Order: sequence, then C-alpha cells, then structure tokens
Amino acid sequence: MPEAGRKLSLAAWVWVLIAGLAVFELVARPLIHAAIPSDESWEAASAFVRARYQPTDRLVAAPSWADPIVRSHLGDLLSLRAAAPSDLAGIDRVWEISIRGATTRDEPPALEEDFDGVRVRMWPVSTDEVLYDFVENVENAEVELVGTDGSNACPWTSARPSGGGLGHGPMTPTERFVCDPRRPWLWVGATVLQDLELQPRRCIWQHPAGTDPVRVTFPDAPLGERLVVRGGIDYNSERRRVHGPVTLRVWIDGRLAAELVHHDGDGWSGIDLDTSELGFDRAEVRFETSATDPTARLFCWSASSQRGRSD
Amino acid sequence: MTNARALKGRDHLIGAGLCVAYVLLLVGTATDLGMSRDESFYVHAAKSYAGWVSQLFSDPALAFGRESIDRAWAYNWEHPAWMKLSFAWSWLAQKHLGLFPNESLAFRFPGMLTAGLLLWLIYAWGASVMRRQGALFAALAFALMPRVFYLSHLACFDIPIAFFVTLTAYTYWRALADRRWVPLVGLAFGLALATKHNSWILPGIFLIHFLWIRRDEARAGRIERSSVMWLPSMLVVGPLILVGTWPWLWHDTWARLLAYGRFHLSHVHYTYEYLGVSYFEPPLPVSVPFVMTSFTVSLTVLALALFGLYHRREGLRLPWRTKLGDATGLRTEVLWLGCMLAPMLAIALPTSPIFGGTKHWITAYPFLALFAGWGLVAAVERAELDAWTGLRWPSWAFAVLCLLPGAAETAHSHPFGLSHYTPVAGGVPGAADLGMNRQFWGFTTGSLAEWISSRLPDGGSVWICDTTNGAWAMMQRDGLIPSNVRATPSMSDADLVLVHHEAHFNEVDYQAWVAYGSVQPVFVLRYDGVPIISVYENPD
Repeated sequence: MPEAGRKLSLAAWVWVLIAGLAVFELVARPLIHAAIPSDESWEAASAFVRARYQPTDRLVAAPSWADPIVRSHLGDLLSLRAAAPSDLAGIDRVWEISIRGATTRDEPPALEEDFDGVRVRMWPVSTDEVLYDFVENVENAEVELVGTDGSNACPWTSARPSGGGLGHGPMTPTERFVCDPRRPWLWVGATVLQDLELQPRRCIWQHPAGTDPVRVTFPDAPLGERLVVRGGIDYNSERRRVHGPVTLRVWIDGRLAAELVHHDGDGWSGIDLDTSELGFDRAEVRFETSATDPTARLFCWSASSQRGRSD
Repeated sequence: MTNARALKGRDHLIGAGLCVAYVLLLVGTATDLGMSRDESFYVHAAKSYAGWVSQLFSDPALAFGRESIDRAWAYNWEHPAWMKLSFAWSWLAQKHLGLFPNESLAFRFPGMLTAGLLLWLIYAWGASVMRRQGALFAALAFALMPRVFYLSHLACFDIPIAFFVTLTAYTYWRALADRRWVPLVGLAFGLALATKHNSWILPGIFLIHFLWIRRDEARAGRIERSSVMWLPSMLVVGPLILVGTWPWLWHDTWARLLAYGRFHLSHVHYTYEYLGVSYFEPPLPVSVPFVMTSFTVSLTVLALALFGLYHRREGLRLPWRTKLGDATGLRTEVLWLGCMLAPMLAIALPTSPIFGGTKHWITAYPFLALFAGWGLVAAVERAELDAWTGLRWPSWAFAVLCLLPGAAETAHSHPFGLSHYTPVAGGVPGAADLGMNRQFWGFTTGSLAEWISSRLPDGGSVWICDTTNGAWAMMQRDGLIPSNVRATPSMSDADLVLVHHEAHFNEVDYQAWVAYGSVQPVFVLRYDGVPIISVYENPD
C-alpha cells in the first residue's frame, strides 16, 4: 500500500501541475493585457515631452518596437535627420519614452515621470556641435560624373520619385542630381538608408558608377575641429556580403584627406578627420565614390563639420 | 502498445458534429479576415483553372489540347492542383448558384471543409486508441490552436495538407491490420501529393515505422507479419492521382515534375525574424520550430502532449528490446511521434530553405494534439479522478479547464492570428521584446479596412505594402474596401501609405519618410499595444 500511495500522489502532482499551467495561462492573458498602456497614457506622456522639447533634443523609444507609436504622437517634432541620425552630434538632451520597464541608458536621468505605464526620462548630454551638415546642404553641391573623356555635370532636377517597396532600396527624393537617365540609380541626393542593422540613416545617396568616380563638391563648406564621415550600403545589398568594396575619397582643398573603403559587413561606419590643424575655417570639400564593380553598391554617406562644446 | 478499436456510429456522429460546428465557426468569422498574400495567388490560379474546367464541358477536345492546358495551368505551376481545383469548383458553384455571401468565402470554403474533416479524423483516430474523452480533447485542442484557427479560414494549402497527411497516416495505420484499407492509402497519399509537397516525407516516416514493427514481430516470433502492400499502393496510386489531378503535368510530364521538385528543394529564402535576428539565408536555428511551437500553442496542451508521450513510452520501446513471445502491435506511438517530429525536423535542418512560419510544420500538430489527448486520459486515470470522487464530471471539468487557455487565446488572436503569441512568450508584447516575427502575407490590412474607408470617404489611393493587388481587389469585392479606394504602386501618388511592421520592412518605413518628408504616421494599428501597421498620409 505505501507504493500505491506514492504513485497516487505522483499522479495527483501531475494533475495539479497541468491544472496549474492552465490556470497560469488563463490568468496571464489578462495580466499581459492590463500592462498595455492606454492611449491616454501615451497622450499624457507625449504632451509632457512636447511642452519641453527643443530642436536639439533627441527622442528615443524603448523598447525600439514602440518607435512607431512614439512617432505617431511626436513625429511632427522630428526632422528626418533627427529620426535617422548618422551620428550622435548636435544633441543637447535625450528624451526616452519607454514602456514595459525597457531602457536605453543605465545612468540616472535628470528628469523622470510616469504616466500610467508610459515612462518619460530625460538626460542632458553634451555631444559635439554640428557646424555644417553636408547632407542637409546637398543642393548647394556640384555633382559630376567623371569619365575618361572628362567630366559631365549632373544637373539638380526635380523629378518623379521612385515607387517604393521591399527590396527597392532608399527612396529617390523628388529633388536630386541626375547623372544618367539611362541608369536610374545614378543620382545624388539626400535620402534615408536602411543600414545593415536595419537602422535609419539620413545620408547622401552616391552610387558608384565604376572605377571612374562620381564626384560631389561643396565649394565653400565650413570646417571645424573634425569632419565626421559615415557611410553604408543598403541592407538588402550588404547583408549577403558577396559584392566588392566601395571607396569614398574625401578631398579638402584639392588634397586627399581620407579614403574610406567600405566592405560588405562593415555596416554603418566611417572615419573622424581632424581638421583643426588645417588653418582655415572654410574649404572646398569633395566626396568621390568609386567601385571596381558597381553592381548593387547602393552606397550612401553622411558628413558633418563638428567642434566640441565651448561650455 | 495500442491496436485499433472499431469505431461506432456514435463516434462518427461526434466527429461529424465537430466538423460541422468548426466549419460554421470558420464561416462565421471569415469576414473579419482580409485576404492574405498567398491566398490571392491561389485565387488567381483557381479562376484560371475554373476557366479550363468550363472549357472542359463546352469543348473537351480543345480543353485537352496542350495550348489550352498551358494557358490555363501555367500560372502557379509550382504547386499541385488539388486544392486550387477545389477552390475553382467552389467558385463556379458560387457563380452559378450563389451559395456564399461573398466571393472570398467561396474560395475559402474548401479549406474550411478540410479543417472540419481534420477534426473528425483526429477524433476518429483518437477514439480508435483511447478513451473518447481524450479523442474529443485532441480534436478540440487542435481546433483551438490560434494559428490553426487562422489558417483554417484560408484558401491556402496548409490545413488541407495537414488533413491529407493525417488521413494518409490513418489509412496506412489501418492498412497494416486490414488489407481492405490498402487502396485507400494510395488514394489518400495521392491527394496529399496533389495538395502540397509536405507529403513527400510520408513514405520515409511510414517505412521507418513499418521496419520498426516488422523487427518487433520478428523478434517476438510472430508468424503472421504486417503487410507491406501499403507501399506499392502509395507508390503507384499516389503519383497517378498527382498527375491525374494536375493537367499541367499532362504534357512534358518529366520536365515539369522535375521543375516542380527543384522549385521546392532550392526554394527562395524568406526573411524571418527570430529572437531579434532577421534570417535571410540558411541555416535557420534548429530551435525555430520548437520555440515557435512553444510560443504559439497552449502550454497546457504542450504539457499534456509531453505527459502523453511519457505515459505511452512503452510503445516507443526500441524493437531490439522485444523478446520472444512478447506481444506486438501497431506501434501507434512510433507512427505519431514520427509524424509529429519529421515536419519540425525538416524545417530545423540547417540545409532547409528558410520558411519560418508555423504553417510549414503544421502537419505535426494533429499528432501533437493526439498525444495531448493521451496525456489528458493518463492524467485523469492516474489521478483516479473518477474513482476518487465517484463522479464523472470532475474529469470533464479538468478537460474543459485544459481547453480553456487555447480557447481564450484563439478568441483573442482573431483576426491577428499570425501575430499572436501565447503567455509563454509574454504575449504579443513579450514576443516583440524577444524580436519574434510580427506577421507576414500582409493579412492585417483587413483590420484596417474600416479605418481606411472612413479616412477616404470620397475615395482615393493607397500604397498597400505587403498586401497584393489581388488581395486588395478581393477585399473590394467582399465590400471591406470601397471600390473607389484603389491600390497604387507609387508612394508619392498615394493618399495613404501602409507599412506592415516586420523588421526587414523598416526600409519601407524609411521610404515613406522621404516620400512625404515626415516621420509621423497618422495612425498605427496595434495589437495588444504592438505596432502592426503604420499609416502615413500624403501631405499634398
């Protein structure tokens, strides 16, 4: 009988365990649902941020999947550059709007408010000052397609943008430099790239045409202490890591200042050029892209002149 | 080890009741679901095939000609014809008799019918080997899997192939003990072949199972052995049905069969987000089908299936441990385990193309449910619930309790079936935290139909992202989307842009930002607080 008693208790344990799992599942669903912030919470948190937001602030959502919700409430405050930053320069404060206890920073915030499940936190940050953003000034550049028989200017054109769609790469903006209508990808303009980490990057599309460079010249660009250059290739082209590298050469006043060779797999990356010793505040800055094989080299770069904060 | 018990009329009454009730439930909830991407392709194919069927009656000589066949059957040649023909017949019936309230239901009904029949079959097979309570539980546990419920609505092949695979396994199992079932094995296998390529693995599973029981019988010293006649039946009748129901193969048969095989053996890889990584080329982690199953099927059902497996472990005894004189049987446990594991392992193989969605191993779930039925019976019997209380209702109450989570999850999942995750994953928000696939097929557009209609009261245009033009057109014919709201291929021309949230679709989000110069969606369709679709509005 002790054996029978032991078996019975084991079976009863299994029964209780399974019944317990069922109860757990039944209870968990309403608990999960109760933890979802209401629209009112999102609106209250957004109103709080909106009242304090400044143009040099940055907004981040935590977890990142909540980003569309944050943008639906506060997206009108964000420029494309702010929503798709190429680097962290030019930011005074970071606002984090989070749910589910998610966070993007470990240090204690300067400000924190909770709106019934939506938490707002703010940190003052001191990043470098942006003196000149080449991406936002692309229409001031001169663009040419260099060939063996000289160079051809690419005119600034207002034309039909691309249709959009999965695998189509960055959106062609309405206004852009068009280098060769027969090669519709051979344009230069400001767009947003999906980088290798699927993150948005505000940048200048400059697809290489081959070994002869596509040249973008800013005749009189302000310089600071650093010229920060970043570049990357569209996610769909870079992820397979089967294509050749893209070379981005940076010339300052006719001298080669840097050469960035971007290989598949590098992701959004680049170089910081020290311009503090050049001895001039403004210069002609030229960016040239080339590739031995330009196939599927959906290259996009950003650059900005930056200097450290004086305060 | 378990052998077959004869079914009674009452069993089929219960099975038929399950079938009818489920089909009615599916019909009643189908209008909530906008047409999905793949459905739209099969609808297009079915219409093309329906034209050929009509020609078959009006001018048979012409219909059998190569030109007519190629013209009608070239579309969607990569999938066999059986279910698409069923959709075509159903649509023809709708055209001539007006059986259904809307056109999409006409296409979807045959798939729904296979879902209902599958419940009947699960119950029947379960009732052949276990207490009816367990069999009923198994059928309902399957019906109340959220993704099964979603897929059961569709004019697709996933639930139909689950039905025909289970039917083939059942007829094979019956044929082992009763040769009258032998022709039916070939027939069922033929229909499985003619439905979807998941069926290709069945002979391998059956062969392993058969060798297992033959070894068993040999070691036990049984003179009478199980018959192998099921195999020629499968290998002869099966391909005949595949070819016979698929006119595309009536010309250039070998070349087209080879092309069909090659298409699926070297299938394109879908991009699939799993635990925060977007996989776009093999290998997909081996864990995918198992983790996805644990995240999308009720934990209680999974626990019961594991307990059922444990309870029936004697039936899984390796054949070389059988001794002379031991009793032998059909080794149903081995067959079910094979049918359950093989589809999951096929997806888990490092060389398999990347599919990802649970639908690709959904043929495993009827067997998972059957093991759960065994688990329920074992839990009730071993806890001696009936004997202890002297009443029958506590065991039924336990069964109902174990079904409730699946029922609650399924009710909550509708109409977001493919976006749904169980509490094990932390629900939909928990799965988003974990970086799990949010959706595919653009099926969630149906949940936006009302919003779109109210936003564009005078008509307009919508860039529809992952939804196909065919799916959009069907939603218009169903009356979900007004006819003056058209789909457009250009974001900049559209009044509204939809972005279906999947990690690798971020690109489309960014395209909309540039097209409209704004990062602010006018609306975000959410499911349990998780973004499903963002909608951008053209500022011009």
